[in-house]
Amino acid sequence: MERVLLVYEKILRKIGLEKFGNLIEIIRINDGPVNSLKKLTYYDDLKKGTLVGTDEFGNRYYNNNYYFFGRNRWVEYADHVGFNYDGSQVPPEWYGWLHYKTDYLPENDPTRPNYPWVLKPSENLTGTKAAYMCYSTTKPKIVVWTPQSKQKA
Amino acid sequence: MLRSSIQKAAKVSRRCVHIGNTNKAAVAKPSAEQTLLEVYIDDKKVLVEPGTTVLQAAALVGVEIPRFCYHERLAIAGNCRMCLVEIEKSPKPVAACAMPVMNGWRVKTNSEMTRKAREGVMEFLLVNHPLDCPICDQGGECDLQDQSMAFGSDRSRFTDIDFSGKRAVEDKDIGPLVKTIMTRCIHCTRCIRFASEVAGVDDLGTTGRGSDMQVGTYIEKMFLSELSGNVIDLCPVGALTSKPYSFTARPWETRKIESIDVLDAVGSNIVVSTRTNEVMRILPLLNEQVNEEWLADKSRFSYDGLKTQRLAFPMVKFDSGELKAVEWEDTLKHAAQALNNANGQIVGIAGPLVDAEALIAFKDLLNKLGSEHVYTENAFPLSGSGIDIRASYLFNSKIVGIEQADLVLLIGTNPRYDAPLINTRIRKSYVHNELDVALIGPKIDLTYDYEHLGNSASTVKDLISGSHPFNKRLAQAKKPLIILGAQQLKRSDGAALLAAVQQLAKKTAEISKVDASWKVFNLLQEAASQVAALDLGYKPGISNLKSLPAKVLYLLGADDSDVLKESIPTDTFVIYQGHHGETGAELADVIFPGVTYTEKQGTYVNTEGRAQQTLNAVTPPGYARTDWKILRALSEIAGKTLEYETLQEVRKRLEEVSPNLTSYGNVQESNFIAQATELSKSVKNNLESKPIDLKLKKLEDYFMTDVISRSSVTMSKCIQAVLKQKQNKYYDGVEK
Amino acid sequence: MTTSLLMSKTRGIFKLRSSISFGYMYSVRQGGTYYFVKSYNAVPSPKELQDDLVRSFFFFDIIRGGLSSLSYLFREPVTINYPFEKGPLSPRFRGEHALRRYPSGEERCIACKLCEAICPAQAITIEAEERADGSRRTTRYDIDMTKCIYCGFCQEACPVDAIVEGPNFEYSTENREELLYNKEKLLNNGDKWEPEIAANIHADHLYR
Repeated sequence: MERVLLVYEKILRKIGLEKFGNLIEIIRINDGPVNSLKKLTYYDDLKKGTLVGTDEFGNRYYNNNYYFFGRNRWVEYADHVGFNYDGSQVPPEWYGWLHYKTDYLPENDPTRPNYPWVLKPSENLTGTKAAYMCYSTTKPKIVVWTPQSKQKA
Repeated sequence: MLRSSIQKAAKVSRRCVHIGNTNKAAVAKPSAEQTLLEVYIDDKKVLVEPGTTVLQAAALVGVEIPRFCYHERLAIAGNCRMCLVEIEKSPKPVAACAMPVMNGWRVKTNSEMTRKAREGVMEFLLVNHPLDCPICDQGGECDLQDQSMAFGSDRSRFTDIDFSGKRAVEDKDIGPLVKTIMTRCIHCTRCIRFASEVAGVDDLGTTGRGSDMQVGTYIEKMFLSELSGNVIDLCPVGALTSKPYSFTARPWETRKIESIDVLDAVGSNIVVSTRTNEVMRILPLLNEQVNEEWLADKSRFSYDGLKTQRLAFPMVKFDSGELKAVEWEDTLKHAAQALNNANGQIVGIAGPLVDAEALIAFKDLLNKLGSEHVYTENAFPLSGSGIDIRASYLFNSKIVGIEQADLVLLIGTNPRYDAPLINTRIRKSYVHNELDVALIGPKIDLTYDYEHLGNSASTVKDLISGSHPFNKRLAQAKKPLIILGAQQLKRSDGAALLAAVQQLAKKTAEISKVDASWKVFNLLQEAASQVAALDLGYKPGISNLKSLPAKVLYLLGADDSDVLKESIPTDTFVIYQGHHGETGAELADVIFPGVTYTEKQGTYVNTEGRAQQTLNAVTPPGYARTDWKILRALSEIAGKTLEYETLQEVRKRLEEVSPNLTSYGNVQESNFIAQATELSKSVKNNLESKPIDLKLKKLEDYFMTDVISRSSVTMSKCIQAVLKQKQNKYYDGVEK
Repeated sequence: MTTSLLMSKTRGIFKLRSSISFGYMYSVRQGGTYYFVKSYNAVPSPKELQDDLVRSFFFFDIIRGGLSSLSYLFREPVTINYPFEKGPLSPRFRGEHALRRYPSGEERCIACKLCEAICPAQAITIEAEERADGSRRTTRYDIDMTKCIYCGFCQEACPVDAIVEGPNFEYSTENREELLYNKEKLLNNGDKWEPEIAANIHADHLYR
């Protein structure tokens, strides 16, 4: 399949239909038309890029400077989340790179400490049972007397 | 007519001009105008008496000179140098707090030299002061912070923090009330001067010189005084801060409510700092008539007792013998039923912390229910003049009167712990006015020397008869004072003792030929509610319930009554209304949760007879309600509705009974002393030979005396600290 | 009067315009307070009339518009495809709050309450007490995120860099209760976001 696509791509480029060639290339890179359709359904877009890294949750990060600034870095959320992808699933390690704050990839970034107490990131849990709910962290201000009755003689 | 009023107005205005031109001292002594010195502060002319310091002269014209070590109520030390000012023709700047003015001086508090001197002093102070304002409790009310903003340089030259580091001093452990962070100390020595001058405890001092100087206690010991909290207010920096208050609030976020302290009968004026409906701390409020600017430790630190052991829900004892929280309505119905069934056989006892509003409502309710048995906890003999003449139960010469006295005879009282702020007055007079003190009672440490006249009550008899050697001293005195402790009236011969002391006062007045307006006899009350209760006609002191028909025993905040110590008959229905769960609540069949003094607007009359009012600082916890409102509601449900509904109406009723109760801040001059003395002659003068004893003899006795201080963790820590101190091998055995 | 004068003076220009424009575009009332922006009485020439008729009859304008829209299908989109692509953020971005820790794991906040004092929305509530080891710590550090206006004064007031507005903006919730953050939530945020927060602070260190 891939080879067929490659041939088509080359032919289209040869005859000057550069854009169609690109289309076929993107379909080829995204593992054929079926997978491409699937991805298009998931991500509303089909792009070609180089995989620069994968985080601990399985999110894949791509870069392609062919696209303009703002679209040249993107994430494909881990397959297991399906349609339940969410922006908050990007862990802090990749956050800076994805938001164009730094050009370093997490493993190369010297300004990004990793202390033993750093917690595993979690996505925005609102609407789930694990969602944070407000509670007080203080002791009650007034200690009420617990009734102890003395017997009258 | 018109002319006369114009003339009057003209006179007044002329006087005003006169006052405006000169100063306070000049007005007070117009005859001494020749001897006054003319000084110019920033070209403003001021006439002052000789001996006035530059700083005081500047204060007269409203020029504030920055200072750290100077304090009006303490001796002048002159060691912080912050008050340096330029004086014309003087080559060097002069410390304004210590320099008496001379005629014609021109003081410049705004000149370049002054500014530079202040900046220099500030720079030196800051070199060795840690930059820990964010964790310092003084932050926001720190003199060093404020003055470095106002008078310090706007930039720092302190760049090399590595040369040897800043000065660091080890913290001292001086007890559970005062926290020390000695690195912050700027050596103003205010605390040392306070301890030795006002508190009379020479525990604090300095060691070392120059940058090695340290303020401390020489040896490792605690600064244990009943006035130790005041050094926190005095400390201009955060070196001495409050331990219970530590880190809990900032001065800018607290609400300050001016109120009255009720833990002793002095009625100290206080400021209750609250935040999020919680009392964060209690500070003294300046009142020259009562507490000056000091506050005793129990009043200052027992506020954590307001937050524990509280009664927050109305409760009823069920048949199972269990107290359970129920609705107000049911509780009131239950109690009203019992009250109505009692057929007037009701005994009411009011505790020491009850306000006058609750007292009047309580008395009115019980009277309406057909009972005349309304008692206070503390005793007062009804023989002689009894409670008919106020002068026999008041501190007649007033607290400020102590400053004029030249001889004080204390009988059966330890003012140091019964009323610490009266003791500071006595000490102040002792230090500055050559006051002599004598004591009848057990030997105690009063922080000043006194002549001990033994501890026998018969000494009073000897003094009356003139056979005692001390009579000579009494005769010499120009303004003698006799202070009798109210606790002695509980003795079986209390009536006789009171009569004897009244006679002694009369005799003393005669032999020392005092002015007619000078009142010799003073009674030092212990409970904040006592004077108001006696004013309202309560019967003082109840020791035995068996002699009374008591189907219902109504305790209004009464936990210390002797009645509770003995057995209460099982068929007596006990109603407890109060704010803390203790002896009274444990016995109760019905509990009405009342409020503490920080939660109500209530009237209290101090031992002088000065009516003062507390204000709402926080809202009561849970379902607790103001006491007089509970009584009002109960009266309605019992079918004997009291005729007042609002605070104003209750106070109107108070005014009907005794007008002085609503004349806030004032003391009515006590009179009919002669008549009271005359009536006291009818009392049989059979003083018992048993020695006079005191309730509070040692510091550890002082801290827990009522429900609030007994509930306080801080106070129990204080007692433990004192006891630990006494285990110390350096403890000299003398009560300090 | 003035208007008609104006019109008479400028009529020539309008005529010139109308010859190159599509002709009768507006019917404009004469006189009154209206200004003529188009020549009102330019009677279309037969050629113009014919062009207009053809255009309207075959929906040329609509087809052209539709084709124009269709062309964007094949162009590179100018929007970004969030949440797969994300826009650039500054290291100074002020997002969800977090309480930080020292590298040792000790919480930074010393309960100085400066943030509480400076907060213009009064969203911060702090209660503090002495911890068992004698250090000054908060027992309550609540931020009402529904009140917060994200001005960043709290992080500027903080002497120890404890409270920061982190980079996270993806914390929308389904109900308001979840936005009343307490100390543990804020510390959790800090613990999760520390790598990113530290990187941000480092990126800005020259300007602090």
